[in-house]
Amino acid sequence: MINHVESPILEIHDLTVSYDQSPVLWNVDLSLPSGKLIGILGPNGAGKSTLIKAIMGLVAPSGGYVKLFDKTLEEVRSRISYVPQRESVDWNFPASVLDVVMMGTYGKLGLFKRPGKKEREIAMECLEKVGMQGFAKRQISELSGGQQQRVFIGRSLAQNADLYLMDEPFAGVDMATESAIFELLQQMTSEGKTVVVVHHDIYSAVNYFDWFIMLNLHLVASGPKEAVMTEDLLRKTYGGKLNLLTKVSELIRQKEFNPLKN
Amino acid sequence: MSDFVYFFTFQDSSIAFVVIGIILLGVGSAYVGTYSFLDKKALLGDAISHAVLPGICLGFILAGTKNPIYIVSGAFFSGALATFLSSWLRKNTRLSEDAIIASILSIFFGFGIVLLTVIQKSGNPEMAGLNQFIFGNAIAILEEDLWIYGGLAVFIILTLTAFQKEFSLLVFNAEYGSAIGYPMGLIRLVFNVLMILSVIIGIQAIGVVLMAALLITPGAAARFWTDKLSYLVILAGVFSAVSGVLGTYISFVLPQMPTGPWVVVFLSLVALISFLFAPKRGVISRYISRRSYLKRTHQDHLLKALYRAGEKDKTNLSIEEIYETYPFQKKESNQSIKYLTKEGFIIQNQSLITLTSKGKSESKRIVRLHRLWELYLNEYMNIAPDHVHDSAEKLEHILTPELEQLLESRLNYPKLDPHQETIPRDNDEL
Amino acid sequence: MISISCGLLGVFMMLRKMSMTGDAISHAVLPGIVIGFFVSGSQRGLEVIIGAGILGILATLMIDWLRKRARVQLDASIGITFTFLFAVGIILINLLAYKVDLDQECVLYGEIAYLPIDLWITGGGTSLGPRIMYLALLNLILVGIFIFLFFKELTVTSFDENFSMVIGIPAGIINLSLMSMVSYTTVSSFEAVGAILVVALLVVPPATAFLWTKKLDQLIKITIGIGIGAAFFGYYLAYYFDSSIAGMVVSVAGIGFLASALFKSKLISGRFGTSTKQEPFEKMI
Repeated sequence: MINHVESPILEIHDLTVSYDQSPVLWNVDLSLPSGKLIGILGPNGAGKSTLIKAIMGLVAPSGGYVKLFDKTLEEVRSRISYVPQRESVDWNFPASVLDVVMMGTYGKLGLFKRPGKKEREIAMECLEKVGMQGFAKRQISELSGGQQQRVFIGRSLAQNADLYLMDEPFAGVDMATESAIFELLQQMTSEGKTVVVVHHDIYSAVNYFDWFIMLNLHLVASGPKEAVMTEDLLRKTYGGKLNLLTKVSELIRQKEFNPLKN
Repeated sequence: MSDFVYFFTFQDSSIAFVVIGIILLGVGSAYVGTYSFLDKKALLGDAISHAVLPGICLGFILAGTKNPIYIVSGAFFSGALATFLSSWLRKNTRLSEDAIIASILSIFFGFGIVLLTVIQKSGNPEMAGLNQFIFGNAIAILEEDLWIYGGLAVFIILTLTAFQKEFSLLVFNAEYGSAIGYPMGLIRLVFNVLMILSVIIGIQAIGVVLMAALLITPGAAARFWTDKLSYLVILAGVFSAVSGVLGTYISFVLPQMPTGPWVVVFLSLVALISFLFAPKRGVISRYISRRSYLKRTHQDHLLKALYRAGEKDKTNLSIEEIYETYPFQKKESNQSIKYLTKEGFIIQNQSLITLTSKGKSESKRIVRLHRLWELYLNEYMNIAPDHVHDSAEKLEHILTPELEQLLESRLNYPKLDPHQETIPRDNDEL
Repeated sequence: MISISCGLLGVFMMLRKMSMTGDAISHAVLPGIVIGFFVSGSQRGLEVIIGAGILGILATLMIDWLRKRARVQLDASIGITFTFLFAVGIILINLLAYKVDLDQECVLYGEIAYLPIDLWITGGGTSLGPRIMYLALLNLILVGIFIFLFFKELTVTSFDENFSMVIGIPAGIINLSLMSMVSYTTVSSFEAVGAILVVALLVVPPATAFLWTKKLDQLIKITIGIGIGAAFFGYYLAYYFDSSIAGMVVSVAGIGFLASALFKSKLISGRFGTSTKQEPFEKMI
């Protein structure tokens, strides 16, 4: 069940991605509409993070390509924002909440310019949007999980992008923060932005997202909630690993090189 | 040449002692270092070798002479202190591991330098020997020293070998070890002691700075040749011994050359060779297996081409047609044709190529795998028919018979692939 | 001045968890220095700095190659690379002894090799003093400019490399340039104070400062302060005890470090994790 879209904001064509020598995503083909809140679901190891990383150019695909706003990543970097997983960073780093959020403005600043008053204002605005303006001067090492996540999102807001890709922003976050963040995301989509979120919990997902991407080493489904949330498709997504596919991946990993690469 | 013979036939007993000494020292360090390497704490050895300097100096100051007992004890004390401080800092501060190791290293070494200059200023005539002690010159190992240091080395080797189980637990999964009741704290303590001891004896041959090489390089090199721990450790020891002897030899032949650097150079050479040529993991080996894989794929493609021609009722293909099908690969095509003919898959008659029955069977197998995989991608993974070909093209060469069987049963012995082409099996006739 | 340069660079090295790499680079540049000496025929050529700079880059590339193509783990790659290069350096010193003015005995000490005279009297000969100072000054200026220009790039790449790549910052180049600056600083300083001191100044003041503060600007300031303090105290103590300056400075820095660790840990166990008052959940616009 794969819905394709006219003039998609994101188009993925026959994408195969390997991670650590073996393929994690097989031949993914999908297109996404703009202005929607989109959830990526799937069991652990299904390739959800890898998909985001491949879109962001952090991982090179073994085959296929990705198009954003009908262009390549390089051409439209300033219009895309990325929120990595919280554990990918050492929160002991000497930075204040405001410092981190201001990093979001660095992309538009360019190489030699220093962040100034304008950037600071943008950062404060974003902090307000995530409810952290009181913490501006606080050191990030003193934050709770939910607060850290809000800071990360604040940073991505500061990029002022059109497309937002978020990797597990709700992992290990308290309920209040979770609902707050969702409210924010919904507001963003009502403003016309597109938000794609890797999510880990299917029950809350049903209430939050308009459109779903279901992954299980391959694309099981991509489409609006009503079309995709069927028992059959859910079973295909979560109902256990694809035995054969896993065996083939294993076989590939044992070779000293990846036969899928050119 | 005569030097060579003289050296290696050990006509001079002092040479024999030196060689034995260096072998023992080297093997001991290699053993300890390999475990450290597996623990991903290879640079800790570097820190310890710098950290023993103040202890050595202190020992010397107290003893007034190059008395090994004082020196070893002093070195041991400062090495232990350094190790203790490292773990203490790790537990009680937010500093990262590398910052801790680097700090301890520099601080202790700096303090050692201070003591060293104090000694230099004091003008003690014994001091000259001390210098050699610190920078390392295996040639200078005297008989009495050998007993102590050699003995320590043997002790290290024996302990590590006897308790291989315990130490591998420590390095691989210490928590599990605790969980099943091993005294991991004690084991780690013993390991640290062994490490410090091997550093103390090793730096005599090789000097403080290069000691890290004696610990890290043999293990890193050996890792490329084997996955089994017992072989790994022995191989590391062998590498170390060989490099040690070669380095000593150079030092013997060119007396102004210090031993240490040459040993390290030989070790590094061994390491480089291992990284490049070890089967399976070596860079060159991987390159070669990739090349042979590509050759295989080309041969398979050729067989497929012949089969597909057969499906259109063409019993053979001319060499020209083959060249056309695979442009820019004339050389590979020629090689493939040669190989396939030799193995009896095809027959070449003037410029026409035909499949033998062996070839028919094989080509059917490849085509079958290709089409089965396409069907699998299409049916099970909802991948559009026009996207399944590339993947199948690549995977048809590696799918095993077991996987083939799985595919067949999963897809229920299908007749057609997504492109409506027949899936060939052995009992149908071409 | 040197302690300031090292401190600045050292802060970023520490934040990137690359302190040991700094140590490795300072050892690895030895062959470059020797070749530079050899080529220039005297101790004071520009060739020395270029030679070392090249070696620094070579070392970084070697480590990278070992890690990525040969697939050797990181700590082993660093260890193998720098010991090999240092060994080559020592061998070269021996081979080229007729032309290279480094005392072999001193060389075998390892880093002490770089300390030309034990008691370094500032402005030892009017021809000596000012030159070394100008070198250090130049180094400081260049390092200062580097850090100033690329401050935000250095910070982002140290904190969150993936994010920095995504917003278009060339993280690999930034890394390489940082390594080059470290090599340059090592070489430019070794003549004056010895590489052992350079490494210590790269690592210990930032580590000490990190025990005291979490704010980046304070971190830098405290690092510089400690560096300068250690330099002064160390110098005078060395003069007083008639011993190695480099060693003394390091020892002073070391005592500062250990004392801070002790002091802070007792204090920290009481105060750890400043309990962030759970602010009432802010209404979002």
